[in-house]
Amino acid sequence: MKKIALLNLKPNHKGKVLEILGGAGLQNRLMSMGLYIGKEVTKISYIGLRGPVVIKVGRTVLALGHGMAAKIIVETE
Amino acid sequence: MIKKIYLIGNPNVGKSVVFSRLTDVQVISSNYPGTTVEFIKGYLNLEDEKIEVIDLPGTYSLEPSSSAEQVAVSLLQEYPKNEIAVINILDSTNLERNLLLTLQLIEEGYPTIACLNMCDDAVHRGVHIDIKKLEEILHIPVISTCAVTGVGIKLLIDRLKEVAPVSRAKPSHEERWKEIGNIIEQIQHLEHRHHSLREILEDASVRPLQGFIMAGVVIYTSFKIVRFVGEFIINKITDPLFYGTIQPLLERLASNLQEKGFLFHLLIGDLVNEKIDFKQSLGLLTTAPYIELGMVLPYIISFYIVLSFLEDIGYLPRFAIFLDNLLHRLGLHGYAIIPILLGFGCNVPGILSTRVLESKRERFIAATIISIGVPCVPLQAMIIGLLGAFGGFYVGEVYLVLFFVILALGLILNRIMPGYSPELLLEIPPYRFPPLVLLGQKLYFRIKGFVIEAAPIVLIGVLVVNILLYFKLFDIITGITAPIIHGLFGLPKEAIVALIIGFLRKDVAVGMLAPLGLSAKQLFIAATLLAMSFPCIATFIVLWKELGLKDLIKSTLIMITVSIIVGTALNFIILR
Repeated sequence: MKKIALLNLKPNHKGKVLEILGGAGLQNRLMSMGLYIGKEVTKISYIGLRGPVVIKVGRTVLALGHGMAAKIIVETE
Repeated sequence: MIKKIYLIGNPNVGKSVVFSRLTDVQVISSNYPGTTVEFIKGYLNLEDEKIEVIDLPGTYSLEPSSSAEQVAVSLLQEYPKNEIAVINILDSTNLERNLLLTLQLIEEGYPTIACLNMCDDAVHRGVHIDIKKLEEILHIPVISTCAVTGVGIKLLIDRLKEVAPVSRAKPSHEERWKEIGNIIEQIQHLEHRHHSLREILEDASVRPLQGFIMAGVVIYTSFKIVRFVGEFIINKITDPLFYGTIQPLLERLASNLQEKGFLFHLLIGDLVNEKIDFKQSLGLLTTAPYIELGMVLPYIISFYIVLSFLEDIGYLPRFAIFLDNLLHRLGLHGYAIIPILLGFGCNVPGILSTRVLESKRERFIAATIISIGVPCVPLQAMIIGLLGAFGGFYVGEVYLVLFFVILALGLILNRIMPGYSPELLLEIPPYRFPPLVLLGQKLYFRIKGFVIEAAPIVLIGVLVVNILLYFKLFDIITGITAPIIHGLFGLPKEAIVALIIGFLRKDVAVGMLAPLGLSAKQLFIAATLLAMSFPCIATFIVLWKELGLKDLIKSTLIMITVSIIVGTALNFIILR
């Protein structure tokens, strides 16, 4: 088990959300879209060049900005 | 007693389609979050009573995070809870995330009915839901619908009267998600499916390399189709109609009127080589209808065919991912591409849809960029029609200049405006294949909207111009502005008339340039100036409404400054 930012998770790998750094505003927005602490996410891709990260949470596909993906810490194998 | 019905749900779950089914009011619906940014009203007949139905912008929760979500939540609080019914629309293929809002609605005591939409899509994807059980758990009526085909709508109306507030404790967010997890386990059964072609394409479009190639192919094909369909309509339908049928009729009319008379001037305009010239005569019966129906309408049709298709299939949010990096530098994020693309049709819906952006700063930058650098279809059609005669190269240059203006302006605004640009957070919808009937309806709706809004203004515009020209009232203005128009931009001083008319309508304004006999360079500069300078009146009003007076003035000053700088630069840099 290791702790890394969602940004650094490899594509097609799963991770469990451990921590969401950043304000309550961001936490609430993510929470209302189904991304919260304890939830398992699958990374689909990182577009590169500081572009967005695409993940799958439950049955939802989300695109997150580069900076946001750096603030979400996940636990992975 | 129900006095009002509200439709609420997550973005992109088909609220607007349900709304159209309930009220017969045709509204635009698309496959991306945030199509509805303003509430829409309609009426439903319920037991001989006419009840107002309101379609709210999509929201993920009752705690709003964008201005469109804010609209939804505050409207919901306008009426006492015992006088309303809330139809909560959910996406059956993604029940888990959708249930958050449902639970919040129930907890707040709203009399709610849950409508699990897109039931057919759920079946295709192997999602099975036990509706009865969900009803038992939630204690509210739950039904399954497929709004695009109309399945379940009658049942929805029948069961509306069953809605009643249910008492339910308000847990924390974490507890609520846990509860949702439990509910889902009891009611949802997922059948294992092999990846379909659709899912493979969905996946490929968000991967760096494949997605980038797909984006390129989509843009290129879209351009080709818009041009092909537009030219096809012009060459095969409208031009034969105008030149073959209407022109002889008008010439007969002209021979019955006294040439150089006031009426002749008004209706027919000036003859070019003793003949009516639809592009140059500038009469109410000649150039006015030709601009709208013969030059602009064909491209309105072709543009909206392509845009509507891309919207409904769900491609646009994927496109946004690839532009996030670039738009981030302009103080926006990837999703700003939606208002920008809509702006290419008409700036008004483009600026309205900047409401999908979170901050005031972003909305100011997006609205300003759209009014300066994004030419609407009527303007583009006229530029292609007139400037295209000198070669496609010049038309391409107009786009190139506008692109660099957007880039430079965005970079500067992002640097000097206080605040920062927020990060992208966007749901990527699945691909859906819209029924052709719905696509056709949407197209019809948009074209009708264009004709109704444009026709009177075009006629008024041409009328006003003709009267002013006849009584030579423009001469005073042309004299005053000549130093700028001629000295800086290198245009004949009469071109100011076109720039002024641009305030009414951009297409008529470009049309006004036709009789001036401009060179390719002059027409290029004038067209670019028309695109950048002051927006047309409809855009102006929306800007005012959306930004407020102070920001409107700021935005307008930016437009004027940029136009003067770029116009002068083009005049002195281009030597041809």
